[in-house]
Amino acid sequence: MKKTTKLLMVAVAVLFATVYSTSAFAQAGKKADKDTKLWRYEVQCVGVGNEGTKLIKVFSYSKKADVAIEQAKKNAVHAMIFQGFNGNSGSGCPTQKPLTDNPALEQEKADFFDAFFADGGKYMKFVSVSGDGQVAAEDRMKVGKEYKVGVVVSVLYDLLRKDLEAAGIVKGLSSGF
Amino acid sequence: MKKIILILCSLLLIVNVGFSQAKKPTIMVLPSDVWCNTNGYMMEFDNQGTKVKIPDYKKAFQENADLLNVISKINGLMADRGFPLKNAESALKSLEAESAENAMLTSKGGASVAESPIDKLKKTAKADIIMQMTWTVNTTGPKKSITFNLQGLDAYTDKQVATAVGTGAPSFSAELPVLLEEAVLAHLDGFNSSLQKHFEDMFANGREIIIRIKKFDSWDGDLEKDFGGKELGDVIEGWMTANTVKGRFSTTDATENMMLFEQVRIPLYDASGKATDARGFCKELQKFLQAPPYSITNKLMMKGLGQATIVLGDK
Repeated sequence: MKKTTKLLMVAVAVLFATVYSTSAFAQAGKKADKDTKLWRYEVQCVGVGNEGTKLIKVFSYSKKADVAIEQAKKNAVHAMIFQGFNGNSGSGCPTQKPLTDNPALEQEKADFFDAFFADGGKYMKFVSVSGDGQVAAEDRMKVGKEYKVGVVVSVLYDLLRKDLEAAGIVKGLSSGF
Repeated sequence: MKKIILILCSLLLIVNVGFSQAKKPTIMVLPSDVWCNTNGYMMEFDNQGTKVKIPDYKKAFQENADLLNVISKINGLMADRGFPLKNAESALKSLEAESAENAMLTSKGGASVAESPIDKLKKTAKADIIMQMTWTVNTTGPKKSITFNLQGLDAYTDKQVATAVGTGAPSFSAELPVLLEEAVLAHLDGFNSSLQKHFEDMFANGREIIIRIKKFDSWDGDLEKDFGGKELGDVIEGWMTANTVKGRFSTTDATENMMLFEQVRIPLYDASGKATDARGFCKELQKFLQAPPYSITNKLMMKGLGQATIVLGDK
């Protein structure tokens, strides 16, 4: 009887630990999503990518390094649409303007972007982590209580632009003609 | 039955007007004078004692494979953006072929094709926007890099409407065509962003054009001729104020013989909802001047979407 009670207690403890860790991970994910909405990330151009792609390094913040790495993809697509990035003469990158110059677009088309940037949302189609998501030692920093992690990602820029044009979110070069 | 046909016809008209689209500018990529001069693709001729150099595009297209690669890459990427470009090399060949055909063409009665000196002068490869391209190869020891400059020039207003310029990453091993391809890929998105801004401004504030008013010397009147207490020049300016978008235009030059209007913003569509351009806009001014009380016979000439000239006093 005692043995059964002990086993039961261990099982409950494991269950609690799992639920807690899952919820902590989910909480960290939600916090990271909030950071993206507040544009709390940094983007650096790494080099001129292949045709139709942009190769960038995204620094994201999270209490959990894994969350920051996963969030980097979302931030990269977000940056392409709303922020752009500065040029980097060392890597031959010119300054890239965002796909929209309307800073209120995210609020105006909230329904679209909420679904687009949801976990597992459409944004996943347009981004891939370069080098299996390996993070260089100098790109993993502890800042206060959280991590700042820099991940190199490749964004399928042309496809992203075409998709947003087709959805009527941004205007195409030839629209109106 | 008649009513139904009438309703259907009006519906068709509404749909037509609703889907009417602005006239699309043509774009052509050309190497800049600096590039042609640096690479030895210039023609020199004596213009009444002054030596004048002009770019020899035909020679450049025939001899420089790098130039063809770059133009081909830009053409491909622009076509992907829904903006296929006019190919300068093909345009030059078409002009030559057309000249030869015109020279040979005769009717059954023996008449040849009418061509005035001005028609001959206008026979050049042209586009509404010229993408002027320059690149220079920088060498530091064994390292090479490319400085790439792409300028979008409005052929009528002479304004630079788009730009992208920068130097690529230095490389020890990459060959020139690879560096050039990288430069095009790096800069074309930035160029298109600024070009899109230009188009957005055009949709918001109208197309920017240039209008010239001249007079034939055979006409006894001039732009200072009085009509009910107002000089003809003032009458034309009044018409421009009433018909341009938000009355926007600048009278750059005005004498008794000529007027030059720059930064003239014209609507993209006329009153009937049809897409219009400099010629369409000036046709209205032409009609206005031909009608009483002015009754001035005049000739309208155009250059592309953005430049028109009205010559007063004759056809």
